[in-house]
Amino acid sequence: MEKLNITLYRFDPSCDAEPRLQSYDIESDGPLSVLQAIRHVYHKVDGTLSFRNSDCRRGVCGICSMMINGRRQLTCMCLATDGMTVEPPSNRTIVKDLVFETD
Amino acid sequence: MSEGAINRTIETDVLVIGGGGGGLRAAVAAHDAGARVLVLSKGIVGKSGLTQTAVTGFQVAFGYADPRDNPEVHYGDTIRGGYGLADPALARIFCDEAIAAVEDIESFGARFDREADGKLTQRKLDSSQTYPRSIKKGDSLGTPIMQALRREMNKRDVPRLHEMLVTRLLKDGDKVCGAIALDFQKGEIVEIRAGAIIMATGGAGELFPVHSNTPDSTGDGYALALNAGADLVDIEFLLMLGHAVLHPATVRGVLFTFQYLLTKGAKPLFNSEGESFLSNYDPEGNDNPARHIYARAVYGEVREGRGSPHGGAFFDPGSVSHETLMESLPSQTKYLEKFGVDMTQPIEVGAAAHYVCGGIKINTQSQSTVPGLFAVGECSGGPHGAGRIGGNSLTEILVFGKRAGAEAAAFANAQGAGTPNSDEVLAEASRVTSYLSRKRTGPRPNEIKTRLQKLMNDYVGVVRNNEGLRNTIAEFERMEREDLPAMSMAEDNRVGNYDWIEALEVSAMIRFARAMAGAALLRTESRGAHYREDYPELDDENWLQNIVIRHTGNDDALAFETRACTPGPEYTAALAEAS
Ligand SMILES: Cc1cc2nc3c(=O)[nH]c(=O)nc-3n(C[C@H](O)[C@H](O)[C@H](O)COP(=O)(O)OP(=O)(O)OC[C@H]3O[C@@H](n4cnc5c(N)ncnc54)[C@H](O)[C@@H]3O)c2cc1C
Ligand code: FES
Repeated sequence: MEKLNITLYRFDPSCDAEPRLQSYDIESDGPLSVLQAIRHVYHKVDGTLSFRNSDCRRGVCGICSMMINGRRQLTCMCLATDGMTVEPPSNRTIVKDLVFETD
Repeated sequence: MSEGAINRTIETDVLVIGGGGGGLRAAVAAHDAGARVLVLSKGIVGKSGLTQTAVTGFQVAFGYADPRDNPEVHYGDTIRGGYGLADPALARIFCDEAIAAVEDIESFGARFDREADGKLTQRKLDSSQTYPRSIKKGDSLGTPIMQALRREMNKRDVPRLHEMLVTRLLKDGDKVCGAIALDFQKGEIVEIRAGAIIMATGGAGELFPVHSNTPDSTGDGYALALNAGADLVDIEFLLMLGHAVLHPATVRGVLFTFQYLLTKGAKPLFNSEGESFLSNYDPEGNDNPARHIYARAVYGEVREGRGSPHGGAFFDPGSVSHETLMESLPSQTKYLEKFGVDMTQPIEVGAAAHYVCGGIKINTQSQSTVPGLFAVGECSGGPHGAGRIGGNSLTEILVFGKRAGAEAAAFANAQGAGTPNSDEVLAEASRVTSYLSRKRTGPRPNEIKTRLQKLMNDYVGVVRNNEGLRNTIAEFERMEREDLPAMSMAEDNRVGNYDWIEALEVSAMIRFARAMAGAALLRTESRGAHYREDYPELDDENWLQNIVIRHTGNDDALAFETRACTPGPEYTAALAEAS
């Protein structure tokens, strides 16, 4: 069993004045990609999180790209690590939490 | 925002539902035929669906690698690979029009691998191909195809809307006249009015716990078409591959097409006792059998207690050099290594749901049995029959995409826009919004989906039997009656609410799963991608028939009809040869 603490960006422009960071403890059978870790939070820990699930999981579409510990990376292509922070790309308009407007 | 109301209405001539390869090819063709086109996708248009992830190759009978190859031989392979059930007229079209389809996509700027003489490289994928025929681009063929189609869409400025889940098709009398969609980013219910609709919604891998597909492959198109009164055909033929990596979980379901390493000296698949076993499961004793045999063989070993820890078998990539891996399967190798898979050691591989061979029944115009409703790509049915040979899907989406686009544009032009029934529109808007007001006490959509996936895996997957299918169908009916009405979401927020999307998807998934299991129960034989352990033999005497499914009346009952098909001399000749 692996235990991780990860921090995710939360912001609902319709009611929040400011974005905030929320940290989550997750447990899984083995390593997870960052994208799988976010999905895990949504399904097992906090269903109020908004995220986007429609993607290739193979580093092809680029849609899952976010800031991981301040560096822009594909969340489907990186392993989730204890203590990491995931935020949307800084140049995007936020729809809610980890969902941002696309081109 | 008031509940049960339509928030926006959009009008177009041709509505394309799906932003993968088939959808974009159709959109470009409909635009070029002079229609106003709108492409909707529940993912990002051009960056969702399966086409972008396609790996290996597509079949086009140029005859460069072997001059004996031509569209006629390709046609024969397609009919044999479909075990006699492919619609001959449809198979004929895509074999005959494949060369022109590749020339089109090349004229859109797609580039494929070539030999030193400048001709396209052609490879033989497996025994289903008489001659080397498959065109490739490294091991990621989907990329150049989608890049080219996205460019053409942009050049023409074809309107598109991202992250719109279509939840219902609307009718005016017999014909379709629009659709209702949920906008994920805005949380709005949108009505689209259209003169013709092209379904290009891809496959249904997400019905299974392990699959090679993208997570948006929930089979919505099949359920939408059923609801609109269209016929489905051949959907019991669900292709399971045995080439998916099973461990670690980070890469579970990803295809590793190791069969192409066998000719380069790789050790064949082996079980926990170190024995190779594939030839024991192939009627012809082949060590690299047709691809649907792989999953069945691995399943057999697992059941006999000779499986790998995660329910598969072993392939040893270390049995070829790293240079060979990087030369043959560069993207797959790099991807697995990125997630820490040691490519010098045996890896666990096994079954994954891959492709629905049947789908929305189409005619040679790519039109379904409902006027104005067209279908293209994996969601359509007819061209493949009981099994799709490797590389025929991408050929199909390009050929029928072009056809569907032109035909839908002509239909919309001739018939004009219809008027939806306003009661139907409001009823759907209130069905969709009703999830927002449900109590937060029931199971979340993902819990129901997980239950469905387990049932599909255990009873409607690689190996099927009477009892398992019967019980599963009864359970699906119970889930529709009890679980779906009780299902609830984590919150009632409209914007970016993934539970809302998943709730609507799960309802469609159960409907389609019930249809697939029903057809599998009815077909008391084994053929192509469908294997019944209680009827393990091919039965041409009774089962040279397609199963056609449709909704009956206004309730949710499904009617299954069998229709004799005449596969033609290519199939009969293959049978004579085999016996
Ligand atoms: C890993 C992998 C490798 C493959 N390799 C090959 C190969 O080498 N050769 C070959 O011939 N075939 C291959 N295939 C099969 C082939 O890629 C697919 O069958 C084909 O690309 C499907 O194209 P499509 O346009 O029908 O659907 P997709 O490309 O899957 O597009 C479906 C679209 O519909 C959208 N959609 C779905 N439901 C809705 C809804 N309700 N509302 C709105 N939009 C919706 C999706 O978001 C998506 O945009 C492979 C498949 C996989 C998974
Ligand atoms: S999901 Fe497509 S690149 Fe990550």
